[in-house]
Amino acid sequence: MSATAFPAQPAAGSARWMLLALLVPGLLALMATFLLPMAWLLRASFSTSSMSAFGGGMTLEHYRAAITDPFYWKVAVNTLWLGVTVSFFAVVLSYPIALFLTRSESRWRGVLTALAVAPLLTSAVVRTYGWMVILGDRGVINGTLQSLGLTDAPIRLSNNSFGATVALVEILMPYAILAMLAGFGRLNPQLEEAAAMLGANKARVFWRIVLPLSLPGVLTAALLVFVLAISSFVTPRLMGGGRVFVLGTEVFQEATVTLNWPLAAALSVVLLALFSSVIVIYQRALRRLEA
Amino acid sequence: MAEQHVVVENLVKTYPGAATPSVDHVSFSLPKGEMLALLGPSGCGKTTILRMIAGLIDPTGGAIRVNGREISQTPVHKRNMGMVFQAYALFPHMSVAENVAFGLEMRGIPKSERAAKVARALDMVKLGALGDRKVTQLSGGQQQRAAIARSLVIEPELLLLDEPLSNLDAKLRDEMRDEIRDIQSRTGVTAIFVTHDQDEALSMADRLAVMSAGRLEQIGTPRQIFDAPATEFVAGFIGAGNFLSGRVTAPGEAEIEGLGPMRFAAPDPGVAVGNRVKLMVRPHRFTLAQPALAQTGPNSFTGRVETLVYRGQVLTLGVDVGGKRLTADLHTHAGHLPARGETVTLAVAPEDVTFLSGAAA
Repeated sequence: MSATAFPAQPAAGSARWMLLALLVPGLLALMATFLLPMAWLLRASFSTSSMSAFGGGMTLEHYRAAITDPFYWKVAVNTLWLGVTVSFFAVVLSYPIALFLTRSESRWRGVLTALAVAPLLTSAVVRTYGWMVILGDRGVINGTLQSLGLTDAPIRLSNNSFGATVALVEILMPYAILAMLAGFGRLNPQLEEAAAMLGANKARVFWRIVLPLSLPGVLTAALLVFVLAISSFVTPRLMGGGRVFVLGTEVFQEATVTLNWPLAAALSVVLLALFSSVIVIYQRALRRLEA
Repeated sequence: MAEQHVVVENLVKTYPGAATPSVDHVSFSLPKGEMLALLGPSGCGKTTILRMIAGLIDPTGGAIRVNGREISQTPVHKRNMGMVFQAYALFPHMSVAENVAFGLEMRGIPKSERAAKVARALDMVKLGALGDRKVTQLSGGQQQRAAIARSLVIEPELLLLDEPLSNLDAKLRDEMRDEIRDIQSRTGVTAIFVTHDQDEALSMADRLAVMSAGRLEQIGTPRQIFDAPATEFVAGFIGAGNFLSGRVTAPGEAEIEGLGPMRFAAPDPGVAVGNRVKLMVRPHRFTLAQPALAQTGPNSFTGRVETLVYRGQVLTLGVDVGGKRLTADLHTHAGHLPARGETVTLAVAPEDVTFLSGAAA
């Protein structure tokens, strides 16, 4: 937002102040809820006192611990891997739905779009419990398999990273669909007709025209799901049954169980830096693609 | 007689749920190398016909034959037709040259040959230097040229153009009109284009097919359509006209209500005396009669000049003759030009009066 949005405004100076004044409430809220806690977190990560963020002096000890401990490296890799697999499957499963909703000329299109994103109306916690009922050792799937005599013992579908991945994919799919619907603006049925007229069969129309033109939407959706997946806590915690170690669960562990706040803070800062750089690189690639 | 290159026979399209067909038993054919215009108001079915020929819409009934072979069941990508879309439909993620090469690539033509063909096609449309550009960097006229190059490089059996000039500004439109005509005659490709613009159709096409409400009203050369419209619709849609109705008093002569007797070029079987007829006179067919000869005989009508519109080469008069308004276009070099309020006599030769229809009273 800038003053140039009102070019006809004669008193440019006062218009500018007006716009800045309008920004104040938002900036204050951002300050209180985001920037201050971030500063707090940063300060806490250097603290020598284990329980108080500001107690004692400054030390780099927690960073040394976070970076040298191979366990935390494993957590970082786990988290990245979870993010990659979840965004891959969420995007692959959402793509046909989003493509159908974009191209449909049905009058039910609006209703179908609403249905596709309706799961967002229930909390992720509730949906995670739903998946526990389905995938648990005594859940719907294992119960059916055993009563049919197909298996003797329950198959491990939950309390592992498989269960966490499945639940996260389903929970994050509506976001992927929404992001793709917004990103499919360059798709145009006439381009597909033009390609067909030039001799492209359906498969080639898809690979050469539809897929390249929908790629910006796909990559945006993948990034959104990736960010939501690596920062998720409830689903990996509940579906992982304590066996899935990712960023969210470990910070929670350090902060509430081990009560080592400075280490939790240092861990958060390290992972934040790591994932921010992943996202910056990704967005740069995305921009190059769209240019 | 050998069959025409492209034959459309009893083509019908009824959309599901529609009470009347959008295209109603339309038949026409084109010899090789002809440029045909499908002309009509919007919603008359002309675009639907073009899309059925292209294979983008399935016909409800009828046949489409190219070189004697029925193609209604052939999928779009095997029809080998070039299409220039109204909004050009260039692929935004490819360069100009990649767009043009796309059809060749789909045909499995090796890369080395492709480059030469693409260069030749781009030269033909005067885009030789712009092959590396992104299509989004081209102007409207350049996009149009690129679309034409892309559809011709595959050496199509038939070139289809959907309102090719409607997205261009007036000056560019005239330029592209001549250019499309020139490219079409140079390549000798058989072409069908859809338009709602009569000037475009008259100036570009070898023949015109005039459509109304899903039906083919008339097909013929621009001259036939303009000078001998078969129906009232065609007469009204193409060019301006004075529509007159009256009763036949003698073979080739009718009494026009409010105007007096008028001789006309009667159709072949003639019209029985006493029947009602509809006649039409193009404004430019009227001439100013000498004052001495005025007010007597058939085909001359005396009245007061009510409106004058000067259009450079012609002066359009609105003349009130006994309460009826006649429109006449006079060449501005034709000596005396009347002024508003002046009494003038308009005359028309019987062979310049178009017979539209006749029916028993």
